[in-house]
Amino acid sequence: MEKATVVVVGGGATGVGILRDLAMRGADVLLIEKGDLVNGASSRYHGLLHSGGRYAVKDQEAAKECIEENTILRKIGHSCVEPIGGMFVRLKSDPEAYEADWVEGCRTSGIEATPLTLEEAFRMEPRLSKNVVSAYAVPDAAIDGFRMSCQNVLSAAKYGGRTKTYTELVKIYQKNGEVTGIRVRNTLTGEEYDIECSILVNAAGGWCEKVAQLAGLNVPVQPDKGTLIAFNQRLANHVVNRLHKSSDGDIFVPHGSITILGTTSMSIDDPEDTSTHPDEVEKLLSIGAETFEDLRSYRILRVFAGSRPLYKQPGAEGRGASRGFVILDHAEEGLAGMMTIVGGKFTTYRLMAERITDMICEKLSIHEKCRTAEEPLVEEVSTEAKARAKKYFPSFGLELAATRLGPEAFDRVTKVLAENPEKRELICECENITRAEFEEVAGREECHIINDIRRRTRLGMGTCQGNFCAIRAAGAFYETGKLEAKDSLAQLKGFLQGRWKGIEPILMGRNVRETEMTRALYELSFNIDGGKLE
Amino acid sequence: MSEEKRAREETSRDTADHCIACTCCIANCPVTEATKEFAGPKLVGPAHSRMTFAEGDVEKTLDYCSNCKNCEITCPSGVAVATMNMLQRGEYYRHHKHSQRDDMLAHGERMGKLVRALPLGATFANLGMKIGQALGMFSAVGITNKRDMPAYAPQSFMERFLHIKQKPSDKKVVFFPGCYINQNDPEVGVAFVEVMQKNGYEVLVDEAFVCCGSPMVVTGYLDEAHDHAHTNVERILDWKKKGIPVVACCTSCSLMLKAEYHELFGEKEMHEAAENVYDAFEFLEGLMEKGELLEAFKPVDGKYAYHSPCHLRAQGIGLPALEILNKIPGYQIENLAAGCCGLSGNYGFKADKYEVSMKVGEKLFKRVEELAPDKVVCDCGTCRMQIAHGTKKPVCHPIQILAKAYK
Repeated sequence: MEKATVVVVGGGATGVGILRDLAMRGADVLLIEKGDLVNGASSRYHGLLHSGGRYAVKDQEAAKECIEENTILRKIGHSCVEPIGGMFVRLKSDPEAYEADWVEGCRTSGIEATPLTLEEAFRMEPRLSKNVVSAYAVPDAAIDGFRMSCQNVLSAAKYGGRTKTYTELVKIYQKNGEVTGIRVRNTLTGEEYDIECSILVNAAGGWCEKVAQLAGLNVPVQPDKGTLIAFNQRLANHVVNRLHKSSDGDIFVPHGSITILGTTSMSIDDPEDTSTHPDEVEKLLSIGAETFEDLRSYRILRVFAGSRPLYKQPGAEGRGASRGFVILDHAEEGLAGMMTIVGGKFTTYRLMAERITDMICEKLSIHEKCRTAEEPLVEEVSTEAKARAKKYFPSFGLELAATRLGPEAFDRVTKVLAENPEKRELICECENITRAEFEEVAGREECHIINDIRRRTRLGMGTCQGNFCAIRAAGAFYETGKLEAKDSLAQLKGFLQGRWKGIEPILMGRNVRETEMTRALYELSFNIDGGKLE
Repeated sequence: MSEEKRAREETSRDTADHCIACTCCIANCPVTEATKEFAGPKLVGPAHSRMTFAEGDVEKTLDYCSNCKNCEITCPSGVAVATMNMLQRGEYYRHHKHSQRDDMLAHGERMGKLVRALPLGATFANLGMKIGQALGMFSAVGITNKRDMPAYAPQSFMERFLHIKQKPSDKKVVFFPGCYINQNDPEVGVAFVEVMQKNGYEVLVDEAFVCCGSPMVVTGYLDEAHDHAHTNVERILDWKKKGIPVVACCTSCSLMLKAEYHELFGEKEMHEAAENVYDAFEFLEGLMEKGELLEAFKPVDGKYAYHSPCHLRAQGIGLPALEILNKIPGYQIENLAAGCCGLSGNYGFKADKYEVSMKVGEKLFKRVEELAPDKVVCDCGTCRMQIAHGTKKPVCHPIQILAKAYK
């Protein structure tokens, strides 16, 4: 039977953080995730590495945690953090009194908020509304949730930390009030098997309640859905926040080649519910257009939603509910070895992991100190390696590939590109992904479907939303030998369906034209729905 | 801000956001069709414009774009693809040194002035170019020796113009000859004056006009082209104030004055000046629509074929020369409709682009061969050079046919 001392349930930011921390301290740890990494709230969010400014008035403790973790992640996460800086802007219509409280809040929380003249603010952000009356620079940053999690997993693997994606927890075994193991199901094959363990960490985010139920425990979690809009380009050079009491649609995060605007806040029943509605888009746009007046003329790529796992405290809901995190040791309820960590923010994932890992290590009598704040997530690709590779990579594609791949995979891809010029073909033109990189990633054990490759490369996430890369990706994936020809059509359709999900609520203007083109390509030319000839 | 206002204030770079990656530009890019080396307009223009955040870089194959503008003509979403490429090229050369070849190809006007300043300059310059070609001096700097450099006319148009006696008139136009007509093909300018005189117009010239800047833009001398734009725009606005339109017989010059200045540099004055600039046949068609064009044509014999320059099609004014020439009794002219000629200004003069240039022109050459006309008619001087080179057929500007019909 498979064994691990600690099993972590949930491949979101918290789970991968715990995996890495435990592995680095020498624990025998396995992470299981029912889908791919970060398919819940950890990728369905802004991509904002908070400076803490957003919490400076309401929650000083959270603000302090944010700025500390922000500083740490900038240091350890060179390959997933874009240290672009942020700005808080107050509009004419926003209450003036809040500004003074905010400035004071930043000061006491240790967040450097530098006042900007309006001239400076407009120079930094030319598209900003002229209704801005005051502006401050803060150390916000953008962070790529996909890369961050993959890099945590990679780092953990170096220390023996194991990860199984598409592996769902179906049963928790207990004996004499102690966890003894779990039963899991491979969600791709349906195969079920047991894993022996003595500690089970429930880090399942929005699914924490369900996981706890498997052990007969009650962890009330309120999924709180936030909807976000991804724009086709970088509308801003910095993160732009409204300087007012935190509300919907008041943060813009330029993130890679796109900008994300969000978010809404709505209590929902099922964490799986990532549906979005045109009304939410309209709401976000009308609020967003107060900060960037031309907002409606910029092209929207897609809409997406994720749910924050808020730990339910009586009487608090939505934005009022705590964004802080809780660690529950279920030994107190009579099940030793089972722990739950829930709530919190992406920005503080490492801190959350450190806290619970400290508790686990105490149980395991491990005395190693946490080193996740000092050791970089991954090694960086050297300047020399990049210089050597430059001529083989597509223009504007070198740095991105280097941060996505890390030194070893980068060297392998460079070698392939150098030796086989035909592998320089772009599978995804919008996000600059070569066939060589695609094959490198597709070949990894954890990649089972095209969407797994997408999350690790940004395939299909740019302007054409899969129109031109879907067919190439399905073909190239088949050619790696990991996919049977008969399954490639289903993969292609699944991938396109995922793209369509984000486009449907914004089916207006140019997006209608693009969607008609998708239909013409895939439904008419390729007939992927397979009509019958009478 | 309203959608409409925003569209007006939008820069060429901003139009990248309209791209839905439909790929029509690639399907209609003559260079992409001719060579696999070029990454294609979609990637080089709009797609890369989203990726500049990642690193300071330049598209390796940007050099292949000939600025023929077929991408912009084709784009159903109004993306200024070629303009973006030219802006990138200009940006590149702000930080990189130009080759001697590019300097020569961009500055035909400077060379022309030098030649005219010497006694028998044109004769010696032409001889020099022949010798230079034979000795491989051009190939040494990267200019192809497989085609002739444009020969200097014995007298420039501006020199010829001094001796043309015109009937004075209250109706006036200012002629913008452009470098090629002025230095190499002054007959076109002379024919233009004849045609305008027949229609009761007096033609003026303006010594203060400078090269439109098109050869500079395509070789990456963007700041210099910008200076030229300022000089010309100031003059055009001055003529506009006087109510006198500026007319050009070269479609690349007229495209530059009418559209590219504004697209590249985005200044309001450029847009205002553009309203006072016409392509010669656009102007004549305007007269025809008002019933003011003299339509007393004498028959013109022979079999003709018409090639519409890309830079005319980019103006979105139809094919006015063909409309008017078709009014000439018994005149036989067929539209070749065979796409880009491939020369694209100075593009096909570059040694490393000669083959691409000829490959692009193949369709056109073949069509000419099939039709076997006596002469090929085309509004653009460089297209005429390419057609003569690729088909050995005689060529002329449509204004020369019209002048003949008025004789």
